[in-house]
Amino acid sequence: MTLQIGTWLSRRKWILIAIGVPVLVAAWWAFRPEKLWINQTVDEPAPFASASTPQPLYTGRLEGKAHQTSGRATIYKSSDGKEYLRLTDFTTSNGPDVHVLLARGDDPGLQQEIVKGSLDSVELGSLKGNQGDQNYDLPAGTDLAKYSAVVIYCERFHAIFGTAKLESF
Amino acid sequence: MIRKIKTTIPLAALAFTLGLGPALNAQDGKAKILETGDFHGKVHSTSGRATIYREKDGQLLLRLTNFKTSNGPDVHVILIAAKDAADDANFLKSSTQRVELGSLKGNEGDQNYTIPKGTDLSKFQTVSIYCERFNANFGAAPLEKF
Repeated sequence: MTLQIGTWLSRRKWILIAIGVPVLVAAWWAFRPEKLWINQTVDEPAPFASASTPQPLYTGRLEGKAHQTSGRATIYKSSDGKEYLRLTDFTTSNGPDVHVLLARGDDPGLQQEIVKGSLDSVELGSLKGNQGDQNYDLPAGTDLAKYSAVVIYCERFHAIFGTAKLESF
Repeated sequence: MIRKIKTTIPLAALAFTLGLGPALNAQDGKAKILETGDFHGKVHSTSGRATIYREKDGQLLLRLTNFKTSNGPDVHVILIAAKDAADDANFLKSSTQRVELGSLKGNEGDQNYTIPKGTDLSKFQTVSIYCERFNANFGAAPLEKF
């Protein structure tokens, strides 16, 4: 009698195992839950990371504020270690006394079209042209983690023509 | 006879420059960055940058940098024929055209993928980190001209 119950129980156990194990394996295969905490890190080199070509460090799209402005702003590091800003596909409106600045990314002044007071900024020079590709040297030691916004700025009227938020390349 | 030669030489020179010109230009064409974009993804937080390079030989290459996504089963890198994939559109429509670039090499770190020859980048404008098994879009990077 007890023997019979025992075999019945063990048969049910075997059926449970026979069904349960494949289901668990299938579920594991489908969801691979261990990947939630196992990372797979890779580190391939850039396609043409030769020392002689300037490497982009940061880039961002220019957006218009007081005047329509568009294009891309990219910070490059050249082979001799110097950093420079390059504007490409660039268009803004022409104006008086327009400068290129780097400003603090979190500066509330950047939300306005006309800056009241002054911007904490790094001067890169007068805007060379209101259209076209152009480069501006960065002063040595510019902290790009802090000054992470490019500003096309009319000094005379404190007007922000456009800004670009730089993000690491 | 002499006149014939006289005309043949400039013609030959012209043909030479016309024929060789583009070839030389292609050779000259330096490796170049064509497009770039930032990843966004909420469901499986995905971040980093996707950049498309054109190598000297014309080969297109996708490179992911500062890249991070969640690890998962059967994750692929694809280009989709869309301007972007919304954060809440976690699943791709079956009608969305795609170009397969290969299995995701790692869920963290810098990595390169070869783009098949003849891929029309003006059509395939978004990179998607895509879980084939569950048709889930982990994250997307809309590409913009560099």
